[in-house]
Amino acid sequence: MTTQDATALQAQSADLFESEVARLIVGALSLEIPPEEIDPEAPLFGEGLGLDSIDALEMSLVISKTYGVQLRSDDERNHRIFASLRSLAGHIARQRAG
Amino acid sequence: MRGTPAAGAIPAAAWTATPERGSDGVIRAMIWIARRLGWRTAQVLLHPVTAYFLASSPRQQAVSRTYLGRALGRPAGLRDLWRLYFAFASTILDRVWLVPGETRGFTLEICGLEALRAIIAEGRGCLLFGAHFGSFEALRAVADAGSPVEVSVLMHEANARLKAIIDALGGPNRASAVIPLGEPDSMLRVREALEAGGLVGLLADRIPRGDRVRRVDFLGHPAPLPTGPHLLAEVLGAPVMLAFGVWRGPRRYEVRFEAFSPGGASPRAGREQAVSASVARYAARLEAMCREHPYNWFNFHNFWAEEP
Repeated sequence: MTTQDATALQAQSADLFESEVARLIVGALSLEIPPEEIDPEAPLFGEGLGLDSIDALEMSLVISKTYGVQLRSDDERNHRIFASLRSLAGHIARQRAG
Repeated sequence: MRGTPAAGAIPAAAWTATPERGSDGVIRAMIWIARRLGWRTAQVLLHPVTAYFLASSPRQQAVSRTYLGRALGRPAGLRDLWRLYFAFASTILDRVWLVPGETRGFTLEICGLEALRAIIAEGRGCLLFGAHFGSFEALRAVADAGSPVEVSVLMHEANARLKAIIDALGGPNRASAVIPLGEPDSMLRVREALEAGGLVGLLADRIPRGDRVRRVDFLGHPAPLPTGPHLLAEVLGAPVMLAFGVWRGPRRYEVRFEAFSPGGASPRAGREQAVSASVARYAARLEAMCREHPYNWFNFHNFWAEEP
């Protein structure tokens, strides 16, 4: 396998994981938007998907249940972690691996 | 991208200009006078301050008249308005001492503290639902003094502006116990505070700028109330107590804690109904408090916010 292949594979699996997290969030929060229509780069809170802090709480509960990854308020990276579906999925993937 | 909210959002205009917003200068002056000259002297000034509040806020006067009429069950007169505004001015003055926890000279009658202690002893933490009713500071003074656990207050940074002025009186300790609303991790903070066995107070009668609102009957007319606090309690399975610091007269408060919900995990499926029922129950309790103590209601905006 060439380096390009490996990178492509990695990107593909990141995409897959993103859609998995999108489905999880849409299900947990009973959102009306289909998971595949969530823009992975759009903000989750405020403008964009329009989630609020209660959604974040519910999300953290389902993420901890599903992946064993705890989201804590004292994490200074929260603004980045919650910035978009992509950053959230990336965070979960890294925490889970680590 | 949620569904259309069941109730209309409250027009932003309903939020601007409450006596609390418009009178920073007057309040700063009152604090200065109160600290320099003491409660007795400052108290004399409550009459001109009340007159100023009344004269400077025709719109709030109109909505207060509507509220008073509904709470009293008869048309409200100028005397009723005066009593309401005077009580409001009194609670602001008293903050100067209550915020730093200086309760000497105050009579604080406390009801329901045993029930609160029992919940604290369970170690699950407890949510305290208050309202813009009476003095949250009287409540906090009692909760802080009598509590073996951390007490936090969940509030909007914008609403916290005025409190910040006064919190300066209380030192950094008090200021740190505020959990700011409106951050993605606000509720994670609440969860962690509860997990540590702490008390988290919030005002459950003010409409957030989102879609977590339900119209429920309040003093005979449907009023929009926030569902957020109730949903939070459901999601966390946290016990809830109602908490009121009723102003009963000069430096006299009745601080009341009431069991509201025992907490515990609830099935997701029934959550919607559980939240609706909880909001309606809260409204009914608040209504009873308003009928019992009509001049303690400090929501100076059109609470019913009739839909256009």
